[in-house]
Amino acid sequence: MFAEMKALASRIRTWLSPLHADQDFEHELEAHLELLTEENLLRGMTAEEAQRAARLRLGGLTQLKETNRELQGLPLLETILQDARYSLRMLRKNPGFTAVAVLTLALGIGANTAIFSVVYAVLLKPLPYAKSEQLFNVFEAQPQAGVTGTGWSYANFAEFREQNRVFSEMAGSQFHQLTLTGRGEPRVVNTSVVTPELFSLFEEQPVAGRVFTSQDGKPGAPPVVILSETLWRDSFEADPNVIGSSIDLDKRPFTVIGIMPAAFRFPQLAESEQVWIPLVQDPLFGSWMPRRGGHWLRVIGRLKPRVSMELAQTELDAIGARLAKEFPAENDGWAVRTVPLHAMIVGKVKDALLVLLGAVGLVLMIACANIANLLLTRATSRAREIAVRTALGAGRTRIVRQLLSETAVLGLFGGLVGIALAYWGVQFLSALLPASVPRVNAIRVDTLVMGFALLLSAGASCAFGLAPALFAANSNLQVSLREGGGRSGESRNRRRTRSFLAAGEIALATMLLVAAGLLLRSFAKLTSVSPGFNAQHIVMADVSLPQFQYSTPQQWAAFSDELLAGIQAQPGLENTAVAVPRPIADGQVNLGFDIVGSPTSSASASRTANYVTVSPDYFHVMGISLLAGRFFNHHDVMSAPRVSVISETMARLYFPNQNPLGKRLEFGFPPDGWSAREIVGIVGDVRDVALGQEPGPMMYVPYAQAPFWSANVVVKSTLSASSVAAAIRQEVRKMDKDLPVTDVAMLPDTIEASLAQPRFRTLLLGLFAAMALALAAIGIFGVISYSVSCRTNEIGIRVALGAQRADVLKQVLAEGASLALIGLLGGFVGSLAATQLIATLLFGVKPADPLTFAAVAAILATVTLTACYIPARRATRVDPMVALRYE
Amino acid sequence: MGAGKSEILQGTLDLMVLKTLEAMGPLHGYGIARRIEQISEEALQINQGTIYASLARAMQKGWIAGTWGTSDNNRKAKFYSITKTGRKQLHTEAQNWERISTVIGRVLAVAARG
Repeated sequence: MFAEMKALASRIRTWLSPLHADQDFEHELEAHLELLTEENLLRGMTAEEAQRAARLRLGGLTQLKETNRELQGLPLLETILQDARYSLRMLRKNPGFTAVAVLTLALGIGANTAIFSVVYAVLLKPLPYAKSEQLFNVFEAQPQAGVTGTGWSYANFAEFREQNRVFSEMAGSQFHQLTLTGRGEPRVVNTSVVTPELFSLFEEQPVAGRVFTSQDGKPGAPPVVILSETLWRDSFEADPNVIGSSIDLDKRPFTVIGIMPAAFRFPQLAESEQVWIPLVQDPLFGSWMPRRGGHWLRVIGRLKPRVSMELAQTELDAIGARLAKEFPAENDGWAVRTVPLHAMIVGKVKDALLVLLGAVGLVLMIACANIANLLLTRATSRAREIAVRTALGAGRTRIVRQLLSETAVLGLFGGLVGIALAYWGVQFLSALLPASVPRVNAIRVDTLVMGFALLLSAGASCAFGLAPALFAANSNLQVSLREGGGRSGESRNRRRTRSFLAAGEIALATMLLVAAGLLLRSFAKLTSVSPGFNAQHIVMADVSLPQFQYSTPQQWAAFSDELLAGIQAQPGLENTAVAVPRPIADGQVNLGFDIVGSPTSSASASRTANYVTVSPDYFHVMGISLLAGRFFNHHDVMSAPRVSVISETMARLYFPNQNPLGKRLEFGFPPDGWSAREIVGIVGDVRDVALGQEPGPMMYVPYAQAPFWSANVVVKSTLSASSVAAAIRQEVRKMDKDLPVTDVAMLPDTIEASLAQPRFRTLLLGLFAAMALALAAIGIFGVISYSVSCRTNEIGIRVALGAQRADVLKQVLAEGASLALIGLLGGFVGSLAATQLIATLLFGVKPADPLTFAAVAAILATVTLTACYIPARRATRVDPMVALRYE
Repeated sequence: MGAGKSEILQGTLDLMVLKTLEAMGPLHGYGIARRIEQISEEALQINQGTIYASLARAMQKGWIAGTWGTSDNNRKAKFYSITKTGRKQLHTEAQNWERISTVIGRVLAVAARG
């Protein structure tokens, strides 16, 4: 090994100063010759004879020097450089070919690189936490009821945290918005409500001050708060003395104890937290802590090193079983589920991104097939050049190497232009990416992504370069030389390869078109689906009530009554209501319930419905239809009998063949307890989760009977959103100048935003399918054009023998059509398999949707036949006289 | 090559060059070539130029070193001498060679008897 390295070093030295080494060797040989000559003279030869004999003994000088140069220099590097120079010259000589090939490749590589940069940043890059692979989300789940993962009750969390030996730490968190007052305008701050262990779990240190200790988490501890660096800089002018001072959250003083770095974000990666407070201090969740049976705390755990997920699951199951025995009322039927934090964060976008990555991969394959075809065409016309080089002694490997280095140079250029395109593409993608995609801010073309692009272009060069190079090197020397580079001598093999490539391109394009078509149909269905309400002219705004100031349900109800009355009194704002939560815009509250008088069976555990509390006018404002009974009215107040309204699906599911009106449901959401409510009305279904999700059972209660600490206002008005917002703000300020109005939005915009992900993937896949179609069209155009020009002679003879133009046209089109047909059939077979992969992304369309397949067939037939028509027309114009004289 | 003269394998020539330098001390190319011809009693007549390929290889591997000096006839010439690694290499190669030639000798003897 050492000797080899030394040899290489010596070669490089010589290679760097070749002239010097050459001269040295010449001197050495001269000396040798002289010594030989002298010896010969001593033997009695004449001077001339002596010199001649000496030369003979030594051998050919030029040859010796050549051997020496090869031995001492770096012949491989030299030939590579020579090849590269030659390749550049060849590419410069054919600017048209070079431009088409480089651009095609750059498109493919650029698209792949851009998508890869997204995939890398969103899916592959480790999370920004220490040893993030150890982090798991832990859920409570109720498998029989179909609840796959929900939050914890604090009591259960505390027992698990205490008893388990598989997590080095477990922490719980919830998210809340609190009002920060006393510092300029009142503002709502994003508040992470956490158990004290959260920071040690993430192994994060504060930039100043300290993090929570377990003391801070105990009931009765003085209220403390940790600020994010961002908030500290924005609202506290980065004042170092803020630590130890007091700030007001929801009108209650908290002592600032620390500042976390801006880079630390949890749980929302996209949005920076502004403050953290201990769970026990939160006005809402704090009061829930002692209650077992509620499911609201989000739990994260750090698995101990060398503990497998399986082992952890076994241990958690055991603890769960113990708790179920101890507290059967709350814990029976509940299990614990763990999901890696990474999978949790990227889960929703993973499928779509991988499909897009696959799609651009196909586009690149089509691009490669196109370039391979171009190269094959060129190799045929270069057959004579290669034959001459072979005749002059170039070896087969040398020729293959030369041709491959041409494609490598081509690939390199394609890669470089591709990277430039990717820079632009990434900006385009970042602007297009839905806000719900996590870690979008990490997307960029960095060295790793560039490495990927270069690797891809190297791989692509091999893919499109190898076949043409081998064909070229294999060509029959004599035939090529005799034919003088004519074009009629293309071998059958080569023609078959070209046809195969063209048909393959069409097959790949078919697959992409089918996928894009399916997504497009899904998207059309998604946007035309009726949500069960009329979103037009609906403006929404949130008013969140500080719980220390507004602590009783009576206060909340009074506030919302006064606010509604005030807003409704203004002209144009008569149609105003309050609802929590609102469809699409807010999350859902899923509650279990009982039917009074119906036997409680094991099935009763799975009776759940989405719960909404609304003011009487809500149904009217939203345009939700009444099917039976009545809406709520102003008599449904706290002192009146409890009532509820259920949705059509709820009536169908839980009251089959019965009249639900007059029946009573038992359920409750804090602070409104478990109580029986008579069903007074049945309303139409509403898609409350997402447009793409079938409506589930829903139950409504009057806001006056079940008020909430937040009034989410819904206004139907033809006034502009900003004037509606101004009117609401004015009304709120009249009542309490410290209350902020947040999240003003038009419902149609909110719905639009909820479609951002499907729109994004549909748009991109459509774009890739269009690229694929264009490339495939160019591909088949090239193949047919070339085939026509090869057969000029044959066509001429046919015309001379009486063939009609229509016959010629038909013949050429038939050739194109058969390629297209083979490609289309192959593509359909591939699609039937591949569309299963996108089944989860479809809405209302089956993967084998006949309409989509038919449309794709029609588009492809039109495009390929058009692409073939141009060369076919050229064929019909062949003049038999010219064609026969040709060559 | 003519009758009575044998072709030599590349590796063999390398071995002979090393052995010659070990036995004779520093020599120039001509000297090495002459010496090999003499020792072999002119049975091996090499194209003397081929010695330089051997020398270049050995130089690169660090088995020999080369310096410019003055020859017997007062001409500038490059002298080669064996290095420490060269001696080691020579030792291994010589052992190799002996083993192979013994084996071949044995095989040939068996073949002749059979």
